[in-house]
Amino acid sequence: MSSTTAPAAIDEFRAAVSLRAPGVVFQDRGERVAVDECLPDVTCAPSIESDVSAILSEASACGLSVVPYAAGAHMGGANVPREYDVAMLMTRLDRIVAHEPADMTVTLEAGVPITALNATLAAHNQFLPLDPPAADRATVGGVIAANAHGPLRHRYGTVRDWLLGVRVVHADGSISKAGGRVVKNVTGYEMTKLYCGSFGTLGVVTEATLKLAPAPPVRVTVAAQFDTASAAGLYAMAAHDAGLAIDAAELLSPPATYALFGEPRWCVLARAAGGPGAIERTLRELRAYAGAMRGALRECDEATWAAWARALEPGVLALRASVLPSRVAETVEVLDRRFAGAAALLSATVSAGLIRANLDPTRGIRGGTLYESARDVVARRGGTVAIDAAPASLKRQYDVFGAERADIAIMRRIKQEFDPRGTLSRGRFAGRI
Amino acid sequence: MTMDHAPAAASNGERRWNPVTSEVVRALHRAVGRERVLSTPEELLAYEYDATIERGTPQAVVFPESTEQVSAAVAVAHRFGVPVTPRGAGTGLSGGAIAAVGGVVIALTRMKRIIEVDRVNRIAVVEPGVVNLDLSRAVAPFGLYYAPDPSSQRACTIGGNVAENAGGPHCLAYGATTNHVLGLELVLADGEVVHVGGRTRDVPGYDLTGAFVGSEGTLAIATKVTVRLSRIPESTRTLLAVFDSVDDASNAVSAIIAAGILPAALEMMDRHIIAAVEPVINAGFPLDADAVLLIEVDGLEEATTEDAAMIRGICDAQRAREVRLAVESADRERLWAGRKTSISALGRLYPNYYVLDGVVPRPRLPEVLRDVYRIAETHGLAVANVFHAGDGNLHPNLLFDERVPGATDRVLAAGAEIMRRCVDAGGSITGEHGVGLEKRDFIGWIFDDIDLAVMGKLKAAFKADGRYNPCKAFPTTRGCGELTDRVVARHAPALGTDIYV
Ligand SMILES: Cc1cc2nc3c(=O)[nH]c(=O)nc-3n(C[C@H](O)[C@H](O)[C@H](O)COP(=O)(O)OP(=O)(O)OC[C@H]3O[C@@H](n4cnc5c(N)ncnc54)[C@H](O)[C@@H]3O)c2cc1C
Repeated sequence: MSSTTAPAAIDEFRAAVSLRAPGVVFQDRGERVAVDECLPDVTCAPSIESDVSAILSEASACGLSVVPYAAGAHMGGANVPREYDVAMLMTRLDRIVAHEPADMTVTLEAGVPITALNATLAAHNQFLPLDPPAADRATVGGVIAANAHGPLRHRYGTVRDWLLGVRVVHADGSISKAGGRVVKNVTGYEMTKLYCGSFGTLGVVTEATLKLAPAPPVRVTVAAQFDTASAAGLYAMAAHDAGLAIDAAELLSPPATYALFGEPRWCVLARAAGGPGAIERTLRELRAYAGAMRGALRECDEATWAAWARALEPGVLALRASVLPSRVAETVEVLDRRFAGAAALLSATVSAGLIRANLDPTRGIRGGTLYESARDVVARRGGTVAIDAAPASLKRQYDVFGAERADIAIMRRIKQEFDPRGTLSRGRFAGRI
Repeated sequence: MTMDHAPAAASNGERRWNPVTSEVVRALHRAVGRERVLSTPEELLAYEYDATIERGTPQAVVFPESTEQVSAAVAVAHRFGVPVTPRGAGTGLSGGAIAAVGGVVIALTRMKRIIEVDRVNRIAVVEPGVVNLDLSRAVAPFGLYYAPDPSSQRACTIGGNVAENAGGPHCLAYGATTNHVLGLELVLADGEVVHVGGRTRDVPGYDLTGAFVGSEGTLAIATKVTVRLSRIPESTRTLLAVFDSVDDASNAVSAIIAAGILPAALEMMDRHIIAAVEPVINAGFPLDADAVLLIEVDGLEEATTEDAAMIRGICDAQRAREVRLAVESADRERLWAGRKTSISALGRLYPNYYVLDGVVPRPRLPEVLRDVYRIAETHGLAVANVFHAGDGNLHPNLLFDERVPGATDRVLAAGAEIMRRCVDAGGSITGEHGVGLEKRDFIGWIFDDIDLAVMGKLKAAFKADGRYNPCKAFPTTRGCGELTDRVVARHAPALGTDIYV
């Protein structure tokens, strides 16, 4: 539909792939892999790495543009593909290759969903501490490509902090690896970092080795509600500064609190995690901080986080802002006011300076107006806004990565070096690289 | 001008650089001022080595004091096609700062200002020549510190740490340098100044900061570094577990990790290290022990109490002769002084030491360690082990006297064999010191030509050509006639060239 590619090239590709990798080409119209309202001409679903390689080398030879697609949970965070000839569905690459419990590492294919992985690891009291919205579907490869994260980011950072090694199929079908399988390693450039958040524009990650974390023995979730954003912000910062045993702390705007608890108040949803002594101390201090800020603290169950994930899963229009931690509460407050009327759910990981916004532009205010307003509010506070999801029309108007920065020249050269023919996710990256 | 991909340079090994003529020196004088350039042979002598056994004499050393001066000096080198090698404190253990083929060394040691500390957001912006420990000291009044703590932290620079992605004892829980760098100001090989990353965590686009950290001075020169600071924990407990056998000690390491405890640090020192350190530091390491573990936990008081008790139980179960607990900071500091001066203490007992830096999966630690002792013995060498056991990051120190004919050759042969053993165990040839000059002949054990070509693309994207810190990190065949190259290039193929999976 978006494709301007000659039908002959598509046919040639389809024939070549059917020969080299039988059974990989799907016959449907590709509705399940729609990207930004575009459907691909061909959908391929490889289940081994060599098929990924065959698809890419043939696509490259035919001059086609391939978009890797896994669960589709985080596809909104890149620009509209300039051409979408071939969808490469990654979910069949779903084997756990090796789990080394005593070394706390796992090697797996890119299509393994995070939740499925963690279910396997639970028996060993280990987990991969990444909990992006839609974690039940989101695959490891997708999380790497989209640099997706959730509340656990407070304590555990992002996928770059856990990724030890990768196997990658490049635009011409060649296969490379980077990093390794051990927890500490500086052999060669840190190519793994480059693939995190690259949205399938540099290569297709087929296999990854990740470091694992020990599961905390006890977890207790508490919600503290406040009258003002600043009280909530002070509470979150105080908890952070005291070094309490907390693995997640999200500051919620009144509409977000309403979605979770039915009360439109400012709230900090936090989870104490650790040994019994540390938990007891942490809860005691949280209660004291909440009291000091005239807040009310109550215990909730773990299911609250599932509700959080449902509420914050990027919907029609979702934005992600990054500011300094000290500016979070104030920024969230201003955004909440600006977004009034757009049913904006805001949730911020204060310690990381991250603000997520889930908006519904159908309620009167134009998406573009909301985006521009957020962009300006955040820019004035020294931060940046990226689009996590938006209607294709809006994404055609605005680069989802925001204004180009001076280092875009290096990024362009990287793309040029890695994918000179634009085979991979053409036009999807910053500066529509 | 053609772009020189590193692997391409590697495969034909052509010379692609010019010598530093008096015209180049004059241009450098004009660019940064005569007083910031050294070029007489006597002056250059101090800059021909780092902490390895390699040597390489530069033809000029420039000491810029600002980003503009770095840029101006680099632009001169670019214009004349002479090699450039960035240099920090010169404590590197892989030859990264050595001017392998001569050329211009850009020494960053005069750029040592801490430009800004933002205590609320726990960020500091520093120049690359700031000494690691000086940064922690400067922010201590705010209850903060800079977490990566290489044992050389009294001397090594933040710029050198960024280039090597340096680790240290406390990287086990807090990660290596890469986890603590938010943004960089870079001077590219042609003198262009670029900013990557930033002060906030999520800067849109490719993670160029992440790609740069650990690039061993081969992509660009960092002229400003924005780092994350950490909060000094309220409670720290250090345990000293004493073992009568190295095997028991390494089993204890595996058992602690497998139990799901992540100490802040978990270090091992063997009997030879204890013998070198104890008489100097009086840390209380028993001279008759086969190995000690130094284990630190930090965080909330309640958490450290719980963790310390569990660790003590595990060590007891692994037949520790004794487990001592240090809570007071003076006691803890004495133990750490013992650990962090280990390598230099060896220098007191032996004319030369050669530090290796292999990594193995942690469950393989006991067997690989046994082999390390065996390999050293086969080559008639003494070996002392002090290392980041919790990460599986080995540091065997081969002890020798380079004046004894053939000794260096034996050391390099044993070193190659130990590296190979780490790779065969599923590990890596460097956990924190870098590939540098030293280990580029081993890199083929881990990465094939395609893997290396992909890395070369990154180098090209940074506009760094073959004269930019030449002979480092990538395999090179000719033109880099340094010591280990001659010897190691002979040993590496003999040990196998297959690629591990
Ligand atoms: C006794 C001893 C103990 C050590 N312990 C540890 C340890 O525990 N952990 C660990 O990781 N390392 C350790 N090291 C190794 C060494 O200290 C580190 O690699 C350190 O990061 C090097 O810093 P430097 O300032 O000395 O850099 P140098 O040795 O001068 O240079 C190292 C590399 O960095 C490059 N470089 C320097 N500055 C810049 C810049 N501004 N921009 C770009 N490139 C630059 C150089 O070109 C070179 O490739 C130890 C060394 C010694 C001697």
